[in-house]
Amino acid sequence: MKKTRSAIDNQTTNTETDLIPLNQVDETDAAALAEVGVIVDARQRSGTYIQRDHKPLCIMAQNEGLELLPIAQALEMYPWVRENYYWNLVSPNQDEITQHCAAQKVPQGFFIRVKKGVKIDKPCQASLYMAHTNITQAIHNIIILEEGAELHLITGCVSQHQVHTGLHYAVSEHYIGKHATLTSTMIHSWGPEVIVRPHAGTSVEEGGTFVNNYVSLRPAGDILSRPTTWLNGKGASAKYFTVILGSKGSEITTGGDVYLNAEGTSAEIAHRGVCTGGHLNQEGLLIGNAPCRAHVDCAGMLVDPGVDGYIESIPGLRATHPDARMSHEASIGKIAPEEVEYLQSRGIEEREAISMIIRGFLDADIEGLGPELDARIAEIAELAGHGE
Amino acid sequence: MSTLLEVRDLHVEVAGEEILHGVDLTIPEGEVHALFGPNGSGKTSLMMTIMGFSGYEITQGAVLFDGKDITDLDVTERARLGIGVAQQRPPTITGVQLHQVLDYAVDNGLCPREHLQELLAQARLDDFLTRDINGGLSGGEIRRSEILQLMVTQPRFAMMDEPDSGVDVEAMKLVGQMLNELFSLETSHPAKRRTGLIITHTGQILNYIQADKGHVMMRGELACSGNPRLIFDTACTSGYEICVQCINGVEV
Repeated sequence: MKKTRSAIDNQTTNTETDLIPLNQVDETDAAALAEVGVIVDARQRSGTYIQRDHKPLCIMAQNEGLELLPIAQALEMYPWVRENYYWNLVSPNQDEITQHCAAQKVPQGFFIRVKKGVKIDKPCQASLYMAHTNITQAIHNIIILEEGAELHLITGCVSQHQVHTGLHYAVSEHYIGKHATLTSTMIHSWGPEVIVRPHAGTSVEEGGTFVNNYVSLRPAGDILSRPTTWLNGKGASAKYFTVILGSKGSEITTGGDVYLNAEGTSAEIAHRGVCTGGHLNQEGLLIGNAPCRAHVDCAGMLVDPGVDGYIESIPGLRATHPDARMSHEASIGKIAPEEVEYLQSRGIEEREAISMIIRGFLDADIEGLGPELDARIAEIAELAGHGE
Repeated sequence: MSTLLEVRDLHVEVAGEEILHGVDLTIPEGEVHALFGPNGSGKTSLMMTIMGFSGYEITQGAVLFDGKDITDLDVTERARLGIGVAQQRPPTITGVQLHQVLDYAVDNGLCPREHLQELLAQARLDDFLTRDINGGLSGGEIRRSEILQLMVTQPRFAMMDEPDSGVDVEAMKLVGQMLNELFSLETSHPAKRRTGLIITHTGQILNYIQADKGHVMMRGELACSGNPRLIFDTACTSGYEICVQCINGVEV
């Protein structure tokens, strides 16, 4: 807990009085956070950052070698963060979202650093939590894994159930050092009219690994997410796995561009979408600039999409090097009634049978999802099976 | 014996075309009946209709189970009343594994876990538990998987669609043993068998199961009923058209 005190003591003046220990997060907030995998049991996490609306609520880091700070404090403490990492992978002038984030007088968001060779065994968790309606969250996160470091970061972004409208803008810059591994599991659960605009950039050095899991539970009204990854070091790899539930009124686009810039790099993008209405666009572009291997796979399932619901899948490949081995596939289908009835003939309820099939579709061929993601996928299957 | 299944004047349409034209069939509890007939005569349609699958629209008549009209019940409700089916060509369900269905039956008290392990070993399906249901299985493996699921869910009335189709001689022995066990006499008093309806083309299955009665379906109607061995032997030597000239004169 030494790191916890240190983090709290070093808070900037505008937030320090609001910070509380993790076990004092109130029940309503704790329930909302649990929905997106952020828990109040510190023993199961290596670190925690919770931001409620605009202010940090709880910050703690329990592992030596894991540093967790509000981004504003990190910029004050470490000039090299601003010089080398801040707005280095995402341009502040990219669009109006980044311009809005760059214009913040005191930046919101978190800074995580895992020091050289440190492997964190328990997940670190961060939550950007919207407790009030119609607010704008503008976040800027920086995550640095130094050479040989390992971290599983669970980022849960959630609005309270009574929050229907709001804006969530987020810039995230990930720096993965040589032979370092970052597994980023992002779980979103937003109100029906919340507009969500994450902008992420990731650079991976030699032998580094970036695994990016993105799950959207409650269908938000409007999500546009096109993260970009640069595999710059020999043998670097990236995996994107995205699971989206779209429903009536949703406008969701998820992409993922990966530049394979060095020999022996590899990338895999897998999108899984279930549409119970609204518009669901699956994108993904792999750019092979070196001898590399890459595959993008988009799969969608229509479950009672209504009159104007659709899934559009556009997996993309661009090769500039003759030794780039790249492939893609896309498929969209519906649940076959004979499959549902087959399970029913074993005594299983129709809704449960549909949920089983959706769950099977969502995690088919995806190995090692882990308990957090597995539980969320089960929730999506349950929701979609009930036509929500 | 009381009647377990009663099909009354059943007319069924598939994709707007009438396939069954007034079928009447009664199966008393504890009896196993065999259903013969040429391809396309409506045997599978009858079985699927009894199970309640969509796509088989009943336009006239009724299906009664244990005295209750189940014509309007869905598939789950029929399964929970005690009707089960082993399909000839069951669908492959990507991402849903065999163990999930078996676990469901165990979790709902239909089969003790230890007994499931014994049945799995008997069916030689241990290696298929974590594979997609029916995915990439041979004909014999599909039969064993389907019969295993019935042995685990323990329906009062079990239907089999061509359990001997696409099965080699060696595998047939195993399928036969499983079916024999499924339809074996229960040690109750008075002793009784599980009730069943078995579609067979080759008749091989009759070497393993003692059928109490046979029926011939022709062009969507039950054209003949009687001794299953006699019917099958006549069909083999003379063809179904001759057979249904009612060789034994037994009424349905």
